[in-house]
Amino acid sequence: MKQRAFLVFASILAMVFFLVGPISAKEIKTLSQFPMSGPVGSLPEFGWGFIDGMNWVNNEGGGVNGKKIKWFLEDFRYNPTVEVANFSKYTAEHPPDELLMATGYITGGLKPLIEKVNKEQKIPWLDGSYSTEIFGAEGGPSKYPYYYSLGATYGDQIKVLMRWIKENHKGKGKPRVAFVYSPTAWGRDGTPEGIAYAKKLGFDVVAEIEYPYTATSATNECMQLRKAKAQYVIYHGYSGATSYTAIFFKTLKKIIPKAQLMGTHYTTGRFPVLVAQEAFDGYIGVATRPFSDPVPRAKYPKDNAMVKLAHEFAQKYRPEEYKKGLKGGIKDMFLYMEGLTYAFMLQKALTDADNAGELTREGVKKALDNMVWDFKGMFGGKTFSYKSHTIPMLQIFKAKVKMVKMGDKMVPTGGVYPITDWINTDEIKW
Amino acid sequence: MIDLVQTLGSGILVGLVYALLGLCIVIIFKASEAFNFAIGEFLILGSFLFYVLFFNETLPWHRALPLGALIFLFFSYVLFFDISARFLIALPSGLVTGFLIFCVLFFGLNLPSLVPSPLLRFIIAFPLGLLAAGIVGSMVERITIKPLLGRSPISMTIVTLGLGFFLRGCIQLIWGSHAYPFFLDLPDITIEMGDFLFLSDPIWAGILSLLTFGLVIVFLFRTRWGLAIRATSEDQAKAMAFGINARFILLIVWAISALCIAVAGIMISNFGALQVGMGFVGLRAIPVVLIGGMDSIGGALVGGVIVGMCEALAGAYLEPMGLIGFKDVAPYILLLIVLFIRPYGLFGTVRIERV
Repeated sequence: MKQRAFLVFASILAMVFFLVGPISAKEIKTLSQFPMSGPVGSLPEFGWGFIDGMNWVNNEGGGVNGKKIKWFLEDFRYNPTVEVANFSKYTAEHPPDELLMATGYITGGLKPLIEKVNKEQKIPWLDGSYSTEIFGAEGGPSKYPYYYSLGATYGDQIKVLMRWIKENHKGKGKPRVAFVYSPTAWGRDGTPEGIAYAKKLGFDVVAEIEYPYTATSATNECMQLRKAKAQYVIYHGYSGATSYTAIFFKTLKKIIPKAQLMGTHYTTGRFPVLVAQEAFDGYIGVATRPFSDPVPRAKYPKDNAMVKLAHEFAQKYRPEEYKKGLKGGIKDMFLYMEGLTYAFMLQKALTDADNAGELTREGVKKALDNMVWDFKGMFGGKTFSYKSHTIPMLQIFKAKVKMVKMGDKMVPTGGVYPITDWINTDEIKW
Repeated sequence: MIDLVQTLGSGILVGLVYALLGLCIVIIFKASEAFNFAIGEFLILGSFLFYVLFFNETLPWHRALPLGALIFLFFSYVLFFDISARFLIALPSGLVTGFLIFCVLFFGLNLPSLVPSPLLRFIIAFPLGLLAAGIVGSMVERITIKPLLGRSPISMTIVTLGLGFFLRGCIQLIWGSHAYPFFLDLPDITIEMGDFLFLSDPIWAGILSLLTFGLVIVFLFRTRWGLAIRATSEDQAKAMAFGINARFILLIVWAISALCIAVAGIMISNFGALQVGMGFVGLRAIPVVLIGGMDSIGGALVGGVIVGMCEALAGAYLEPMGLIGFKDVAPYILLLIVLFIRPYGLFGTVRIERV
């Protein structure tokens, strides 16, 4: 009898081990891709922030309820083809119950992956693109259920600027608004929505100009704006870190100094302070993240928990790069913080799914859809919901740049500083 | 009418910079029948060399030292082999030059503290920057072009394609790929009369480009070296038979070309910022020389002005009609038209080859 009972007990135990064994051996895997090199510019900061963030998540951060995340990082060199190829490779190599999340960075990669991500693989995908076409009214969760963006759409960004103009326009007559945008999918994304909204608000849209990245001069464009008597110039679809932006800002400031220059997320930041200097002074723009990196760097806003955390991380894990700054180090802390943001986002979504007892792609999707979070205090303590599949938080900033003498050189100091509270675009009735 | 004059004026000012780029292509083509596709990279390199001197942008020792060593090797080589200097003169001279270059790159010239006036600083740094660009141009010629002398010009042209990629990589390695602020702060000579407005920076760009163009012409037509260059351009073998060191002449030509490209690069950078990605501007020289004629110095000037005006007119009148991006394409359409009518360009030499 005892022998039989022992055999039954041993068999049950063996079966439990047999079944539980493979389940417990299952790994949690994620794939992330950042533009860390390539023609657009060498931006390794994304990767540095992500690597430091994931190492922290797996060690001090406790992983996913104690389980470590096996994370893969690829440099897609700002090339959508590489982004798509990497994704195909990883989904072929790793089973769907292990590879639970993926992240990307550009609209150019999102579009060719629509079918593969949303219908074939059904894998939650976080992206740095703020495409109105994908995440706006005509796209969104109903059309692309597995795509998630890390910021409000460009359309919403421009519309928020329009609202600011409406509230702050001084002077007689309707505001005279001009749109300058890049002849790219990025520049054209959100601009029609912005123009339609400006007209809805009763503004005069006096010019629509496509200004190319290959420009050597912006005189003609700025003369057109002057002729059109533009009071507000919306500059969209450009990086703030480039020579063409410096050309435009410098020329505009000389030709129509009274016009209010305004812009969207990727123009608002640290780079124009360094590159366009005083021509950037007075610029008003929206950003989906808190400004984290003034010039000099030591004066960063310490009242924002996430910004403080990012600086502490960088100082702890990348002291050399933090110190070097523009000379081969962390050029803009936003880039580093963005990498860190992805790492925390992955941990949060996977942990929420695990807590719900559904650590699968579907479980992660549910966790993201139900997420209500303040993102480690990033938005001044305000929480956001991920129902719209975009982090709908925006803030309007104004640039203050002053040239000061440092040693023998005149150097720019300043940055962009908030002039509004955080705005939740999901709560706005357009 | 006011708009038209304004547009044409702006176009001419930028066109003069393009003309200078065209000139750089023409003089190399005349001397070696090769097309320099690395013009964009020379443009960035020249601008960075000026930037180092004018803005006191120093380099860390591990970047400055190899560059100093390279200069030492190059100088010693040229002095010993090309100028036939004695070994005991060539070696120390090279060493001193290399050390000086290292010091400038590592410690900086410190011009901002020595010369507070931006104009005076520019007057000092500008020729020094151009000299540096010229030296780099001649170095590149020695390393990449000289070994191909006597071979088909096509092989030289193809080498310049590879050279472009190589130089771009080197620039990125030394200075990174981010944008550098570029403010020359030259005296404000903005012209504003009623609706007319010509900004100071483009006017300076036009003046300096024209001045450089003129100096090159004077050098080519009023000096002994210029005569030697023209003789070599006509017939390399005959020039050598008359005792002209054609190899050294080619080195001079590349140096002058690199120097002129640097002027154009500095002026264009002053419109905005300096960045490795702006090398594409150099390719504006292609329609310039093909319209003006590959071997015509005057043609480069006319071609440059035509391309500048063509871009400005397309940007001001055609793009607002919905032809977005036409500004970049217009010079090439014009080029096609010119080539249909005059295959050798407006002022190019008509060559009849009998087979």
